[in-house]
Amino acid sequence: MMQRATVRVVRDARRVPWLDPMVLPAAGALAVVVGYPVVYTLLLSLQDYDLLGTVPERFIGAANYRKLLDDPTFWQALGNTAIYTFGSVAVAALLGLALALLTESVGGHRGRLARTLLLTPWAVPFVVVAFLFRYMYLQNGGAINAALLATGVIDAPISWLNVSSLALTAVMITNIWTMTPFFFLLLAAALAGIPNEVIESARVDRARGWSLVVQIKLPFLRNALLVSSLLMIIANFNDFAKIWAMTQGGPGYATTTLVIYVYRQAFENFAIGYASAIGVVWLLLLLAFAIAYLRALRTS
Amino acid sequence: MSSVRPRDAVRRATRAARWAAIVVALVVSLAPVYWMVATSFKTELEAARLAPTLWPHEPTLANYRGLWSGSLPFLAFFTNTLLTCLATAVAAVVVATPAAYALSRARFRLRGVIGYAMLVFRMLPLVVLLAPLYLLLLHARLLDTHTGLVVGFATFGLPFAVWMMKGFIDTVPIEIEEAARIDGYPRWQIMLKVVVPLVVPGLLTTATFVFMEAWNNLIYPLTFITTLEKQTLPAALVLAFTGQFKTDWGGMMAAATLTTLPLMIAFFAVQRSMVRGLTSGAVAGA
Amino acid sequence: MARISLRNVEKRYDDTLVLRDCNLDIDDHEFVVLVGPSGSGKTTLLRIIAGLEHVSDGELRFDDVLVNDIDVADRDIAMVFQNYGLYPHMSVYDNMAFGLRRRKLAAAQIDARVRDTARMLDIEPLLARRPRQLSGGQRQRVALGRAIVRDPAVFLLDEPLSNLDAHLRVQMRAEILKVHRAVTATAIYVTHDQVEALTMGDRIVVMNRGRIHQVGTPGALYDAPVDRFVASFIGTPAMGFVDCSVERHRERIALVTQSARIDLADAQACVLRQADAARVTIGIRPECLALASEDEARAAEVVVRGTVQVVEMLGAEQYVHAATDGGALTARIPRHRRVRADDTVTFTAAARDVHLFERDTGRALR
Repeated sequence: MMQRATVRVVRDARRVPWLDPMVLPAAGALAVVVGYPVVYTLLLSLQDYDLLGTVPERFIGAANYRKLLDDPTFWQALGNTAIYTFGSVAVAALLGLALALLTESVGGHRGRLARTLLLTPWAVPFVVVAFLFRYMYLQNGGAINAALLATGVIDAPISWLNVSSLALTAVMITNIWTMTPFFFLLLAAALAGIPNEVIESARVDRARGWSLVVQIKLPFLRNALLVSSLLMIIANFNDFAKIWAMTQGGPGYATTTLVIYVYRQAFENFAIGYASAIGVVWLLLLLAFAIAYLRALRTS
Repeated sequence: MSSVRPRDAVRRATRAARWAAIVVALVVSLAPVYWMVATSFKTELEAARLAPTLWPHEPTLANYRGLWSGSLPFLAFFTNTLLTCLATAVAAVVVATPAAYALSRARFRLRGVIGYAMLVFRMLPLVVLLAPLYLLLLHARLLDTHTGLVVGFATFGLPFAVWMMKGFIDTVPIEIEEAARIDGYPRWQIMLKVVVPLVVPGLLTTATFVFMEAWNNLIYPLTFITTLEKQTLPAALVLAFTGQFKTDWGGMMAAATLTTLPLMIAFFAVQRSMVRGLTSGAVAGA
Repeated sequence: MARISLRNVEKRYDDTLVLRDCNLDIDDHEFVVLVGPSGSGKTTLLRIIAGLEHVSDGELRFDDVLVNDIDVADRDIAMVFQNYGLYPHMSVYDNMAFGLRRRKLAAAQIDARVRDTARMLDIEPLLARRPRQLSGGQRQRVALGRAIVRDPAVFLLDEPLSNLDAHLRVQMRAEILKVHRAVTATAIYVTHDQVEALTMGDRIVVMNRGRIHQVGTPGALYDAPVDRFVASFIGTPAMGFVDCSVERHRERIALVTQSARIDLADAQACVLRQADAARVTIGIRPECLALASEDEARAAEVVVRGTVQVVEMLGAEQYVHAATDGGALTARIPRHRRVRADDTVTFTAAARDVHLFERDTGRALR
């Protein structure tokens, strides 16, 4: 009956293997290029390591972490990061939701064109966005001041990026401009995925306008909102290009986030040990946040 | 029926208001991009005017010509970026697809652990890993090389690529693979001949995402590439701005426009299937 | 062609036992049907024979060779899936040739086999098309063709007709049997439809909750079901059951129930005496019940009285569903008899048409 000369035996069919060879290239690459630096970072955080090599490295235990707690710039950077990240994501998510709801009922070519064009900000490289807005935020000659002056909203040109109290807001506006299309895209897709029968039976129950949105549609969007927010929070925490190319973290430390601070400590002060300590703290914070977030997601 | 008319009026008013809002949103979305392109055609003088002009009164191609023949090797920057990002996209997808296939179908004990590890790696503050990575590349003699840059880019993009590809592969019905098993094909070939052809849109979308992420990456080229001729566009823009372009906004915007073009083309080409990739992974769980 | 045998086969998923005590012998070139409700384990059993699932315990043999650990590809089987499992990105021709190419046959040979099979199934004009361009019935034939072209020792079919509309189903049933007669392979066919099982199988395997209840020819299953489940599963409309209690008076033994009088045949009385059961359920098939008048009832061996619940008109006949004190019965009645809901009716039957089952275990008493 069995025509083949050699027969393949499935070895240990019942035992489940530890690893699958297909995963090895990816897992291997990540272990080397990411895993190893993570471990090395942990070690570096316990050392006083000068990148230039002018001073030999020495083990100083938790001294970097103690320095971190007393460092006002660290706390300012942490605060800036929190405001920048959560503020931008919240506003961008709301705007994205508003846009998704607005364009939902618009059909045909015009609707499709509008929806595609609204995605444009996301397609612009971050460095370009940073320089573009830097140009537009110029006190003299910037497009934004010109528009505000022309419409009479302000009397005198504002120095957006050079006034500490305004700089973070200006940077956040730029961030929101870039991020909103992402939320818009995902939420519009989630909205389109709501089964028609749900909407129709809600209409029969005389739900209309605002109540239709809040009570019927929002629950369907909850998952998409939460997951996309998590993705963007993680991405924002890592935002380097947008801020560096606009303000380099200035004026002073007004727009310095953790990323910028770590970069400057590592590559301008060459204090790798201290920079690594900041990074470790950052990672722990982000992990704690993500775990809490995912748990909230699972209970939904 | 007089009660119908007020309702009609309300409906027309809401529709008008809705379109007004959409127009405002469109203006806000597109105006900066218009501004960038318009400025790129202005002379240096006009671009720096105290009262900016809405469109170039003296349009000129001087800025673009300046990029081509200027002191900065702009063409080199462009090709460097294009090649490294393409290589990254290809490398990431080639490595991620088998991993995603294994995570999707196979049963092995470290499956859950590796899945979670991918998630954690996406959250890492990569700037922190910069220093050890710098030292790693130094020892491997890959500093200031495009290969080293691609290694950095590709690994940065791997967790996301694996997550996205897994979402796409999950949608392929398993019966097809069982039929191929019965037909006698080993697993690698089933993946290549049966599964991959069915997720080609997913492959392109994932590749585009990785491409975009690499194109946007400023911090790696800034840190790992020291020779100016080997630099990529984002880093070159930042470096140039401290030097040549300091007040040449026209020139800067021309460079910016050219930097934007490939990314925008890639983006709009795959934008529709991008949603499928994001939602299949996003809705099913991070 | 292959003989297949299962000995004490068990299948466990983590800690749940999905199949147990499976013993089965299938002869060369038989057409065997695995039938049962959803969750009965019939598809799992099929997949175990295919090799897509591993045997947790027990032995599976093809022609006396142990195949428990032999890979799917080497078992010389072909499978037709419920959702066809066609490769969407390949043409019908390539779908059928895919497996053959793996075996490194000459291109001319492959072409001949594909075209011959396509001709047999009437799908030659479709060879260049993609699956998405085909109708359900056409896809079904392609799936069949893909299996036939492999010239396997065993054909495995997993509910292949359940996605087709009723008319097409009847047509395809005949086609599948015709194909089976033309080839020399053994066939194992899974379905949840007992009509399909009865019309197609040489032998039928009735399964429920992971166990094999009975294996036999359609006639054997119909006339001598081994337990209440098989009796109620096979046959449309289903057999009716009435609960009774057993009364023993020294030598005499009788079945007592409020709404019926049952005069047992000698053989049945004998069986009951030996079985030592106190509670018994009787089963009677609808075609064995006749509507009777009181006079006719006096002369009958079995009389049952009940109240009509529903009458279904089927054109040539009617089904009368009645409730009795001990259970529900269905009778097939000629169309001209006037029966209405809530009527009290009297049915008669012959003693030999009464099936006896132990109330507690459901086992048949024969």
